[in-house]
Amino acid sequence: MLEREVTITNKLGLHARASAKLVQTLQGFQCNAWIVHRGREINAKSIMGVMMLAAGVGSVVTLRTDGADETAAIEAMADLFARKFDEGA
Amino acid sequence: MRVGILLLTHETMGAALIATARHILGRIALPLDTLAVPPGSDVETALRETATRVRTLDQGDGVLVLTDVYGATPSNIAEHLHSMGLDVRRVSGLNLPMLLRVLNYPEQSLEELTQTAASGGRAGIHIDHV
Repeated sequence: MLEREVTITNKLGLHARASAKLVQTLQGFQCNAWIVHRGREINAKSIMGVMMLAAGVGSVVTLRTDGADETAAIEAMADLFARKFDEGA
Repeated sequence: MRVGILLLTHETMGAALIATARHILGRIALPLDTLAVPPGSDVETALRETATRVRTLDQGDGVLVLTDVYGATPSNIAEHLHSMGLDVRRVSGLNLPMLLRVLNYPEQSLEELTQTAASGGRAGIHIDHV
């Protein structure tokens, strides 16, 4: 199992479209993936789970993956956060 | 599995939900359509039109019909589809979380999607400031 802390830096936070993008990114991976925020752990492949975190800009969340392709999956997730979900701001 | 999804709603609520889902998801992986039932519409005509839409959407895995309010006319129309021999399930209480969740599980069977829709609709309701 891998874990990594990331900070949400895009202006709109984990809003609807960002949540959808994250879930779609993970669809290509076999491993399980979670996000932990304020003590709540949700399935990162569940669009409603991600959205209901209501995690805004500045929030620190923990990414967690477990399974055969866990390294590639956590890299892909972290990369999406680092790229601000390709939203530019 | 490719279950068809039909939103059967009062007015154009269904069209607004589909436009929003497209904006959020970018791509929609399931056959998806909507039919508005305007006030005062003839129930028989609306049922025939609904059945036509269901047949068009059904690619062999059935159609999930999502209606806004249980007991209201769109939902009552959908109730008859099953007895017409169509492979449908009806879930009422349509909201955007329900639709997004359904579209996020395009590989599921009609039976599974029915439960996914219901749980998504319920989970999308969140109480604050209490």
